[in-house]
Amino acid sequence: MSLIGKLHRRVIDLGLVPKIVAALPLLSMLFAVVSVGWLALLPLEGRYRRTYISENALLPSQAYSYFRETEWNTLRGYRTQIERLANSTSRERNEEVAGWLREFGVKTAIYQDEKHGDTLYGVLHAQRGDGTEAVILAAPWTNADGMVNLSGVSIGIALTRFFSRWPVWSKNIIVVLSENPKGSMRSWVEAYHTSLDLTGGSIEAAVVLDYPGVNDYFDHVEIHYDGLNGEEPNLDLVNIAISITEHEGMKVSLHGVSCDKISDNDFWSRLLIMLTGIKNAALSGLRKVNGNEAFSGWRIQAVTLKAHGTEGRHDVTTFGRIPEAMFRSINNLLEKFHQSFFFYILLAPRYFVSISSYLPCAVTLSISFALASLDAMINNNYKKLPLSSTYNLLSLSMWCISLLGCFGIAQLFLRFDAPTILISFSALISFLPLLLKKKIAEPLAYRLKSVAFLFFSLVLTSLLMVNFFLAFAMGLTAFPMTLVRTSSLNNYSLRIKLKNSILLLLSNPFIASYIFCQCFEPDLPGFTVFTEFATAWKELGCWTWFVICIGWLPSWLMVALSTLNTQPAQLDDRKKKFQ
Amino acid sequence: MKGIGIALFLSWLLSLAICDTEVAESSALEIDQDIVLPNDDDAPSSTVVDSCVLDVPYDAYSGSTVVDDQSSVKNVDENTNVEISPSIDVKEEISYPYEEKLMIKPLPNNYLLTSFSFRMDSEEFMPGKSALDYDGYGHYTVFPMAFKPMMDRTATRQLHLRFTRGFWDSESWGRLPHDGFKSGGSGVELWAIIEAESDDQAYKQWKILANSLSGLFCASINFIDTSKTTYPVKSFQPDGQLPLFDDTKKLFLVRAALANEPVCTENLTPFVKLFPTKGRSGISTLLDGHKVFDSSWHSLSIDITTECSASGETCKYQMEALVDVVMNVPNVLARNERPIPKPVAGDKLRCDLSKPFDAFQCFPLPEETKVSYSLSKIYGKQILGSNEISNHPSHVCVDATDDWTAYIKIDDTYFSTDDNCFELKSSLNHDVYLESENTSSVIRYESAPLYVSRSLTGYGQDRGGLRTVFKNPHSNPVKAVYFESLPWFMRVYLSTLKLEPGENCDGDGGISLERVMNSTYYLPAVDRARPTHLEYVITVPANTSFAISYQFDKSLLQYAEYPPDANHGFEIESAVITIIEPSEYQMRTATLLLLLSTPDFSMPYNVIILTSTVIGLIFGTLFNLIMKRVVSMQLADRVQATSGIKYKIKMLKQKLLSKVKRLTG
Repeated sequence: MSLIGKLHRRVIDLGLVPKIVAALPLLSMLFAVVSVGWLALLPLEGRYRRTYISENALLPSQAYSYFRETEWNTLRGYRTQIERLANSTSRERNEEVAGWLREFGVKTAIYQDEKHGDTLYGVLHAQRGDGTEAVILAAPWTNADGMVNLSGVSIGIALTRFFSRWPVWSKNIIVVLSENPKGSMRSWVEAYHTSLDLTGGSIEAAVVLDYPGVNDYFDHVEIHYDGLNGEEPNLDLVNIAISITEHEGMKVSLHGVSCDKISDNDFWSRLLIMLTGIKNAALSGLRKVNGNEAFSGWRIQAVTLKAHGTEGRHDVTTFGRIPEAMFRSINNLLEKFHQSFFFYILLAPRYFVSISSYLPCAVTLSISFALASLDAMINNNYKKLPLSSTYNLLSLSMWCISLLGCFGIAQLFLRFDAPTILISFSALISFLPLLLKKKIAEPLAYRLKSVAFLFFSLVLTSLLMVNFFLAFAMGLTAFPMTLVRTSSLNNYSLRIKLKNSILLLLSNPFIASYIFCQCFEPDLPGFTVFTEFATAWKELGCWTWFVICIGWLPSWLMVALSTLNTQPAQLDDRKKKFQ
Repeated sequence: MKGIGIALFLSWLLSLAICDTEVAESSALEIDQDIVLPNDDDAPSSTVVDSCVLDVPYDAYSGSTVVDDQSSVKNVDENTNVEISPSIDVKEEISYPYEEKLMIKPLPNNYLLTSFSFRMDSEEFMPGKSALDYDGYGHYTVFPMAFKPMMDRTATRQLHLRFTRGFWDSESWGRLPHDGFKSGGSGVELWAIIEAESDDQAYKQWKILANSLSGLFCASINFIDTSKTTYPVKSFQPDGQLPLFDDTKKLFLVRAALANEPVCTENLTPFVKLFPTKGRSGISTLLDGHKVFDSSWHSLSIDITTECSASGETCKYQMEALVDVVMNVPNVLARNERPIPKPVAGDKLRCDLSKPFDAFQCFPLPEETKVSYSLSKIYGKQILGSNEISNHPSHVCVDATDDWTAYIKIDDTYFSTDDNCFELKSSLNHDVYLESENTSSVIRYESAPLYVSRSLTGYGQDRGGLRTVFKNPHSNPVKAVYFESLPWFMRVYLSTLKLEPGENCDGDGGISLERVMNSTYYLPAVDRARPTHLEYVITVPANTSFAISYQFDKSLLQYAEYPPDANHGFEIESAVITIIEPSEYQMRTATLLLLLSTPDFSMPYNVIILTSTVIGLIFGTLFNLIMKRVVSMQLADRVQATSGIKYKIKMLKQKLLSKVKRLTG
């Protein structure tokens, strides 16, 4: 007898297979716990790595930065004028600033967009470059908080003037002054790649400046880097931004976590940054858009530098030296940004985990759903049903119908923004089994659940490579769905029904995202998350809404349907089979 | 400034002294003595009587040969272009058919265009006969020795080579120098007219030509192959008739471009060495790589044509080499003082006094419009003497409005002329001194007849689009030939060609593709063998702008086709627009950078290593699990005793023995 035969005998002797099959719900739960546990252990010493500049050419802060001394006077001169312009119309403002830019040789044009607001942009042709590549210096007139970005715009202009005197540039520099960091900026980037007449080559990187107000001093710099749809800028760009900021003596904060907390550098601070990072990335496009999101796609690496505080020891030109040194670094690049990581989670400004360390969380989570599906398939009396049985076909066709229906709901909501209806309808469906007396066949209930979980598992698996953050958040919030129980009629008590309804309520895509935002995201109070779903799709092309509607809602609907009262089926097929 | 004033005054005194003694015998060039002291406009004492003829070192050469010059000088004034009088007469004195000119022209926004032009002829030769057949001797004189054998061998009748880099700001600077016919797209561009029997033969000769030029100019011209070579049909056509040495053959126009090929000192050094002065005397002494390539825009060009006598008996090659450089004067001057453009000192800030201004803030003023500088400050050195081998002295002209004053400085003496043209005749150091109260006043070139810009559109890695914007700001329609050669890995879909109307496209029944575009020539690409070749005649109505766009697929390359070194994308050469009406003009769009999906080249290695390991592990384990059995020692011994080679040999031996026994017994 071969070794494998021995093993087989052993497995049968111990009765492992039925034991495992019986423990499938437990296993599914175990996998979910492992997934969360894996993530929670990432901030432990030894599980993360220190960041490093992977591309040698970048050499951040190797050249002395000269945006200082009298540039300070110039910057303030511009700022006084911009303060004066802040109340004038966008047209007047753009024309006046375009005049200033032309003084030092920048070719300007105004991109007109009636819907989102006009954008003034100018191309500074690099003297020694070949004119095929460009780096963007962007400063929206208002920032994410709706404050006027007075200093940011003045730094943008003064810095462009400063750049125009340097002969070192190998890439064109494009200065972009859009109305806001969201729709207006995105619409400009899209126009740049479709219809603008004045262009300066393919965009390599973008630095967005956010420094509201006219205060001369600020406290620390926050660096935003989340892209849309799970994209992140190359880690090298974030690294040079952080290393330059720290080199100039400023403190860096990430994801709104305060600098003091970051400087603790213990497990809890790293865990906090990681979790807020995952939350922000999952809600990217829906929360406040800082400007770098607008550049997501087209292989543009973008970060936003945001000055925090009105008092501190850092001067406004110090802030300008960050983009200066970053431009010097990016200018050194002969290739595109490709050396470093594109998928990472930062635990601190100088610590990160790469995709290979965090991806198993999402994988185990999607396995847990697959196990739940398997459980619904084989862990009952109806496992011997042939593949082509009515119940299988019925559940598959229901899946198709719900998929189509959900697509319809997604489209309809984009036109009619009615979150209350959506929520109340979801709640109604959750409690439907309590109210409705209609019965469905028991095997159908199992098959529905099986198809639903299998589909959800597939959605998670395909999403986790592209957008880990959304996949993980979705998997976690939808997990209560797998705990919904289908039982035969005799022990189908009210308690179970109520429990099912509450589980459904918690795992409903709309209610879950509403509760999630209420608990963790102060940027999205009340029903704003639903309006943001629609605007993020329309203005930024962020497909979170469609993932939720098409990837999550059909599964949920089918699970909800399976919780209706059931009656055991007369297993004709099985009898036939036995005869 | 004071020193210059004194020097000028001294020179004036000197000239007065010479005037008295040598007026009678001077017959050479006359120089108007409108010498005005810099910074001292209305000092009457410094103005000298007109028609005073001077015979300072300025006028070293004498004799009848100089007479020709004045006509050529006038020519320059009228056309504001460097144009060379067509005939170069070789007189009895030993002088060679060589001419060099320098044109200095201030451009708006404190830019300065310096155009160098060098012109030389080869000795006459008889086509179809080697030097041995007729009573002559092979002799090159001023014509570069490298070129004639190459031209002869490849039967090239015309050769055009361009090295260009930078951004020509046609919106503020106007037309390109020489109407754009002497500058290429960013990178290297080469086209030639080759006499050959067939296409194949022409390509072979072209390849030889490209390889020879590559060696000559240390450029990558040898990378020109069939996948880059096109045969233009409407563009690049030569003016006039070209001689055909062998009537059975035909002329082929062949062209190729290497987009964004870096142009550098390696190319300039052999370029300067082509001139008989070798960069050691005359205006070519200014051509220093550090300065030429530290410019906003520069173009090096070489054109060689074959000129034959009316009878066709004798022919000669004519070569024209041009260097055009645009520099930003304030930046260059500032760099001389401070190599790093650090922030200016507080007391040197120029603030707009009409806006809030104090110790804390300063709204910057535009560049100063009052300047004075000398050419040596721009080029880092002075013009060393003149060319001394030709009967045409080196010629320097300043083409500027009356707001500018130009002097030539010979050693320490300043001179000026009415038409701001100077002839360098001595072997002393020359320098050109420019001064202006208002630099914004410049002679404007006619504005460019058409503005064309081209950009890549699209989102993904698998397809994209090309969009060309045509803008005609003038009140007359413009007719032009659009030429485009695209690499084979851009799979163009001409069916997606469409026109997006821009400004003023509604009038006169609207605008459509059929109305603006006619006689299209399209030669689709062949993978790895031929580029896409697209040429069409386009008419842009007055005051109109529109865009023409089409889509393409990006194909996947074989792994060895990716460049081995730092790769940031693939360069797409610029499109060439040759305007036919209302005036002849040629321009090029910017080059583009095409991103193809680039594989991670270390990935196959990783995959092979990983899969081999995994397969090895799985195979080993599985094989063992399936094939191995666990048995007791006794059983194993028994099995071994009844199987195995030893046992078989023993059995065989027994069998044989028994057979032998049976036979014997």
